[in-house]
Amino acid sequence: MVPMKRILHEPLLHFLLLGAILFGLFRFFQPADGRGASSRRIVLSLEDLMQPAQLFQAQWRRPPTADEFNSMVENRVREEVLYREALAMGLDVDDEIVRRRMAQKMEFLSEDVTESYEPSADTLRAWFARHADQFAEPQRLSFRHLYFSPDRRGPRTELDAQRALARISGQPEATPLGEALADPFMYQDYYRDQTEETLSREFGPGFAHAVEGLPSGSWQGPVQSGLGWHLVFVDASIPGRPAAYENVEAEVRTAWLAEQKKIGWEKAYKAMRAKYTVLIPDVPAAAPAAATAPPPPVGEDP
Amino acid sequence: MRSQVHAIAALLFGLASPAVLSGQQPNPDRNAYFGETHLHTSWSLDAWLFGNRVTDPGDAYKYFQGQPIKHPLGYEIKIETPLDWAGVTDHSEYVGVIRLANDPTSSLSKLPAAQPLVMKNDSPAEVQRIFEYGVKVLMGGPPIPSLMSPEVAGTVWQQNTALANAANKPGRFTAFCSYEWTSMPNSMNLHRNIFFKDCGKLPTMPFSALNSQHPEDLWAWMDGQRSAGNELLAISHNANLSDGRMYPTEVDSRGRPIDAAYADSRTRNERLIEIKQIKGTSETHPLLSPNDEFAGYEIMSVLLGDPVGRIPHIVGSYSRQALKDGIAMQSTLGFNPFKFGFGAAADAHNSATPYRQSNFFGGHGVADGTIERRMSGYNFSGIDVRTESPAGLTGAWAEENTRASIFEAMKRRETFAVSGPHIKVRFFGGWGYTAQILAGKDWVKQGYAKGVPMGSDLPPSAGKAPTFIVWAVKDPTSGNLDRIQIIKGWTMNGQSFERVFDVAWAGNRRPDKWTGVVGPIGNTVNLETAAYTNTIGAVELKKVWTDPEFDSTQHAFYYARVLEIPTPRWTTIQAKQLGIAPPDVVASTIQERAWSSPIWYTPSAEARSGAKPGTTVADLVKQGAKALSSEEIAALIVHQSVWLENTVTGDKYQIIYGASGPGKDTTPLTPSDPGYVTGQFAANQGQFRLKYVGSKMRLPSLMGDAAAASRLGVTRPYFINDGKIVTELGGTPISITVYKLGDKYYGARSNEFGYANYMMVPAVQLLDPIGIPPGSGKAP
Repeated sequence: MVPMKRILHEPLLHFLLLGAILFGLFRFFQPADGRGASSRRIVLSLEDLMQPAQLFQAQWRRPPTADEFNSMVENRVREEVLYREALAMGLDVDDEIVRRRMAQKMEFLSEDVTESYEPSADTLRAWFARHADQFAEPQRLSFRHLYFSPDRRGPRTELDAQRALARISGQPEATPLGEALADPFMYQDYYRDQTEETLSREFGPGFAHAVEGLPSGSWQGPVQSGLGWHLVFVDASIPGRPAAYENVEAEVRTAWLAEQKKIGWEKAYKAMRAKYTVLIPDVPAAAPAAATAPPPPVGEDP
Repeated sequence: MRSQVHAIAALLFGLASPAVLSGQQPNPDRNAYFGETHLHTSWSLDAWLFGNRVTDPGDAYKYFQGQPIKHPLGYEIKIETPLDWAGVTDHSEYVGVIRLANDPTSSLSKLPAAQPLVMKNDSPAEVQRIFEYGVKVLMGGPPIPSLMSPEVAGTVWQQNTALANAANKPGRFTAFCSYEWTSMPNSMNLHRNIFFKDCGKLPTMPFSALNSQHPEDLWAWMDGQRSAGNELLAISHNANLSDGRMYPTEVDSRGRPIDAAYADSRTRNERLIEIKQIKGTSETHPLLSPNDEFAGYEIMSVLLGDPVGRIPHIVGSYSRQALKDGIAMQSTLGFNPFKFGFGAAADAHNSATPYRQSNFFGGHGVADGTIERRMSGYNFSGIDVRTESPAGLTGAWAEENTRASIFEAMKRRETFAVSGPHIKVRFFGGWGYTAQILAGKDWVKQGYAKGVPMGSDLPPSAGKAPTFIVWAVKDPTSGNLDRIQIIKGWTMNGQSFERVFDVAWAGNRRPDKWTGVVGPIGNTVNLETAAYTNTIGAVELKKVWTDPEFDSTQHAFYYARVLEIPTPRWTTIQAKQLGIAPPDVVASTIQERAWSSPIWYTPSAEARSGAKPGTTVADLVKQGAKALSSEEIAALIVHQSVWLENTVTGDKYQIIYGASGPGKDTTPLTPSDPGYVTGQFAANQGQFRLKYVGSKMRLPSLMGDAAAASRLGVTRPYFINDGKIVTELGGTPISITVYKLGDKYYGARSNEFGYANYMMVPAVQLLDPIGIPPGSGKAP
């Protein structure tokens, strides 16, 4: 038995309720049957007039002249007149564009409902816990390196690095001897918490990949990068892991909302769909030639 | 335990903040962030026609961050090195319209005005028809209001903003709100990309070329946006396709004289230019920079849409000349309309773009999307697609990877351009840098503290000559570096000059003792295998350089250019894949490169007062000089050999003005008459030839390759029209007005801002005096 309190916190319920209210309001304010064009009065609000005027101002960087303003008003009136006359003539019936637009509007309404819902921190955390893999953080490395510059050493560079390794092998990360044997590096001597992607940009992908595979706690190499040869001392390797919720809260919120929109819409659609009986012709399983004979309709019960 | 080791290591070595790489904390020494400032998706009218029907700005941002997306032809494409930031710039004109015109369910597709945009089939001819309609009618003709409804454009604009906001992750990837203003009157490319600092105060609709084709109106609109708190800047592009109208020195796009207000407005809004992109380089041209051996790089001189009978003008189409004209105008007229920094970009129409020669998949959907079509030299809108180049990039020196920080870098012009590889370049100018500064670990800090970075004005003079720190590191996945050059431009009495200095180079090459020029680095490219090796060249180059020719009275600018070693061009690589010869219409190897934004020197009033005064036309007229009429000029020069002195440089040389065609002369000439050949020309058509010009002579702007012409005897035509000697450079007229004062003759060139810098002088006997008197016994 699900406790009542939990049901009340169920976001889906909120959507459905809110949706029902919104759909209801929408219906209430729309004329029940516009086709009759019952009223011959056209009432424009101040907002109706100001919106095109503001657009004009934004585009042309000056307010419209009296003539321009009047013609905008007349355009608005003309649109309303033609709309009502078109409804009266039934032009909206069986019109492909109108159908699609209205179907689309239903979807937008559903999305607006979702958008207005503010999830609680608990909701997001719980959702994050179930989808942590989407926000996983890649492996991160911290290392110190000694650089051997081909600009200074030419073809001897790799050999020099190998010899230097023999001399500092077994030494700790802080090695004045190593520093004396190596060349100054143009960027950093110590890199903290680097991903393979950031290392690729600085050193080239080959180096980034090679360093990820090095054992930590000792001097290793030489490893070639796009900039020369390196001896590397990995002092910390943090394996790939899920992100901390606090670091990705905004992304979690966006992802959660996108999912809720989808679920909300599917539920709402399913509920609407359930009210209909749909008859679909049987699609022939075999050859396209069979399409010549119209298949008998089959019924589908909800 | 590990974090302890970590903390101890950091303490022990006192190393630079690791945030430099991870981008977590602002770095006061600034990081180089590579970004794209020019890309089209299916929302752009032309991109849709090229077959890009599906991908949108959201896909482009995915591509830039390293995710593969689909090329319009269906195959997968992936960026070589992900970017730090980008702004998608779809054409604001009729944005989204063609997609809707071809969507039978859209209401727009029912409009009569949309019918010419509806594709009847997918044939190349139909695409070409609509493309030409787009270029000529939509871009070139008067606006069509029914296709400009805010319901369409406004909605697309909002979606564009939403996608940029979704892709923007401060500290990791910056996505800008941006668009392209696509002004192209008479096929002259005046396009600008507009970048907004943030997306919070965007206008309802972008200002498009349908609002106005005049750049002056765009800047006025931008001023309005800025004063309303919406900070933004413009990046002009493809000056090389502008028919000489990107950098006008006389009149603006409405024919009004260029003045201080124009210059202020342009400089305030147009902070950067694209110096290189898929459709060519706009740095300079060999005709404008005859002494720059690296000037002929990815040149594309065409007009978009390929209007028949039109030859694009070279003068006015390249940025180095504009920088030179800018300081000449500053010095003579008091304002500089051309004070911009450098960036580079793609201008691809596939919602993605290649940046490497080894990965060139074109930029225009079906037009260049397959190797067979590319290598067949598909002719598309006047462009042989083999002449296309991979995209360039803009490097921004910014504290952190955020919209605000990168925008501010662009605004202060602390940017550099790369031709594709992520070459990093620093450039500082000042008066107190010592040669040892680069030995210290804190040289960047010192660079900022004791001078200015690229894009700035040098602080007021505090020494004999300015000193520059220049530093470059190769892209770890690309070719080694050949050299760093500093390009200097300077001006005196309305004339402007340029010189390229080799300042740092790989290997043990020795610069020429007299010219300072460093010879070629060599070439490891094997044209049969289309491979190269990094066995030559350097990883890092750096130097503290002092201008050896500095004159404190002259306005000047300096920028750095970094060259990679020669590597195979994409056409060479793809020719090898097909087993065909590398094409003969492009170079088979190229030197990828980077350009820093310039640093300007402006003399103080005190320094200016020490300048050698020149001769202005106004001075001459005040003294009673008279301008010669056409007849008087003809009597003076036609069929004459005259000696001239450039009074700014002191150089003397000869011009032979040959006989002018007599037109319908009644006297029959025999083959042994001197005028037998020229007599066949119409009246007033003559040739002139320069003589005694050496390659070390300091030639002012727009003289062409005068030394080669002098050496080879190459002539150019001249005419005498309306009291002027009219010559041309690449089809752009340059005229000389001749003044007589007493018995002296002075010439004023039309591109020297009111100065009469040439004087007729007696014939010269010793052409290049060596300063050793004859008979002094030094040599037999």
